[in-house]
Amino acid sequence: MRCARAGLARFYSSLKNHTLDSPWQCCQVSVPPFLFEAILYAPIDDTNSTAKIGNGIIFFTLYKKEVAMWDYLTLSNANKEKLQYLRENAVLKSHEKAKEETEAKKVTKQEHKKYTLEATMKLEEAERKRIEDLKEKERLKVMKELELWRKEQKDSEKQKRVQKEEELCQEAEQLKEKKKEKMNKAAIPNEGTSETRLKPTKGCGSFSMFSENLKEERLPAPRSAATIKINFTPRVFPTALRESRVAEEEEWLRKQAEARRTINADLSELEDLKEEEKNPDWLKDKGNKMFATGNYLAAVNAYNLAVRLNNKLPLLYLNRAACHLKLRNLHKAIEDSSKALELLTPPVPDNENARVKAYVRRGTAFCQLELFTEGLQDYEAALKIDPKNKTIEKDAEKIRHLIQGTPQDS
Amino acid sequence: MKTPRATSKQLSSIEKAKPIKCGTFGATSLQQRYLATGDFGGNLNIWNLEAPEIPVYSVKGHKEIINSIDGVGGLGIGEGAPEIVTGSRDGTVKVWDPRQKDTPVANMEPVQGESKRDCWTVAFGNAYNQEERVVCAGYDNGDIKLFDLKTMSLRWETNIKNGVCSVEFDRKDVNMNKLVATSLEGKFHVFDMRTQHPTKGFASVSEKAQKSTIWQVRHLPQNRDIFMTSGGAGSLHLWKYEYPAQRSKKDSEGAEMGVAGSVSLLQNVTLSTQPISSLDWSPDKKGLCVCGAFDQTVRVLIVTKLNKV
Repeated sequence: MRCARAGLARFYSSLKNHTLDSPWQCCQVSVPPFLFEAILYAPIDDTNSTAKIGNGIIFFTLYKKEVAMWDYLTLSNANKEKLQYLRENAVLKSHEKAKEETEAKKVTKQEHKKYTLEATMKLEEAERKRIEDLKEKERLKVMKELELWRKEQKDSEKQKRVQKEEELCQEAEQLKEKKKEKMNKAAIPNEGTSETRLKPTKGCGSFSMFSENLKEERLPAPRSAATIKINFTPRVFPTALRESRVAEEEEWLRKQAEARRTINADLSELEDLKEEEKNPDWLKDKGNKMFATGNYLAAVNAYNLAVRLNNKLPLLYLNRAACHLKLRNLHKAIEDSSKALELLTPPVPDNENARVKAYVRRGTAFCQLELFTEGLQDYEAALKIDPKNKTIEKDAEKIRHLIQGTPQDS
Repeated sequence: MKTPRATSKQLSSIEKAKPIKCGTFGATSLQQRYLATGDFGGNLNIWNLEAPEIPVYSVKGHKEIINSIDGVGGLGIGEGAPEIVTGSRDGTVKVWDPRQKDTPVANMEPVQGESKRDCWTVAFGNAYNQEERVVCAGYDNGDIKLFDLKTMSLRWETNIKNGVCSVEFDRKDVNMNKLVATSLEGKFHVFDMRTQHPTKGFASVSEKAQKSTIWQVRHLPQNRDIFMTSGGAGSLHLWKYEYPAQRSKKDSEGAEMGVAGSVSLLQNVTLSTQPISSLDWSPDKKGLCVCGAFDQTVRVLIVTKLNKV
């Protein structure tokens, strides 16, 4: 075909979806199942060329890259190799172009994003600044108010002071006159007490003293002393109560109680005991109660059973020793006190009380057996732990005298 | 809430032998301005700040540290004798009259043999005439006890399940109206003290403000329904109490029962990372307050727009 400028290609084909590929020298239209390809004579300007597809017609508008006369529209005499080469080239170039385009799009997108970000930042900055300015204004206003108020206070105080001075001067004058009258009647002036109590601080000190005196006569006398006895909600732990820790604390207590319960629960005689009678703590409490009422034998029984259940509790031995002392089973008392002391190692401030009691009980038992030196040893040990206890001191003194007394006799 | 930008000037510094835990001006007149302090050794001292070498009044009131102190009858507020109450770790609460040496005028102590609990806070209230006085004490096991000084008896007690850090009546010098008790675990309770039910006691509303301990509560002197709490996380919260439509109603047996209102948070601010252990409002300038924190700073603040609340 011989054409002057652009090429017109008419084709009748079923146009459904079409992909257009128009690199510089190749012109391809793919409309499945048809493919139109035309290798043009010379390169065309890709960007400006267009192809309109519709109505069964494809209308190409191609612009030549170099203005020249074409011999042919297509390179019909090209050999297969050249065609192949051109085709591949075309594809490559089109890909490259697509890439470049996407790259360019990306770059512009990024720039747009940057721009929007900067814009929003500026807006936020402006907003923040506005709020800061408002706050600053408020602050300045409040400071000014405060200054004014302070000044007012100072001024009013000054005025008040001046006024008061005048008033007090007048009052003092009146009082002085009254007192003069009184003095003329009674012999003893009564000013001593009030003047010594309040030290005059400034020039007007003495005047304020007089006004204080007047005021005090209007106050009621101090209350008559009384004591109110209170009970606390019981709490085992010395630390403060916190709701979040309550569960933990209950758990700990439960475990402690279980650990103290029947260690050797398989003793056959214990089968017919009630549940609470297997609890050494309960038995100890029972023993204490019976000791308090004077039923020492029963107390000893209770402690015995408790010891069988758990022989690691020093308090059981300690209390049993006290019972034995009362029952005059002195050797047993000594045994039990010694066992208690054994269990009360290591010696720490927590078991001070228990240890003092153990020493005192053992000492008493020794003395009742007339083994005074051993007894004195124990009393002195007790005194070492608790030096402020007067009863122990007195008893130790007595024993010393006894010791010093007996060698002379024998 | 704003912190004014001015700096404060220390006027004088006085040091005493034992560390001081708490202090109050509550029992002195405006002219005398004596400061009553409780220290770590259990001593109650009243100092004349112009001549601080020797205390005006001194007594070894307690065996252990005095945790909290309050005064009533001074500063031109309230009626009756000036009295100071101290609460200590030895479990006792004692009321002192500065005119009576050595012995307290009232002593609230545990029964013989009872194991003691730390008293962490005390407050005066109900001082509306010369005879009536009430002392409220909070303990570390969550007990709150209300003692009536006129009848010398325990008037009410309750347990709020957390150690009580601070109690305050909204006004010391009126018929007792509201009591706020703050505790560990970030909770506080507001009790309506106008109606006491024979078994249920006083009605209350409680609020969990934050996760940390609420160290102190202080009511605004100019408006008794606004109070500020200071927290262990270094924050201050400003609250407003609203009364219910009816403050009391009859229960099934016909006894009067109080109705608690509601509490709403107005504002909060975090000033420090350490607990703010102590705070007080200025009685003269509305909204001016001062707080001290564990980070060894004293901060002065102004709360604005309180008129519009």
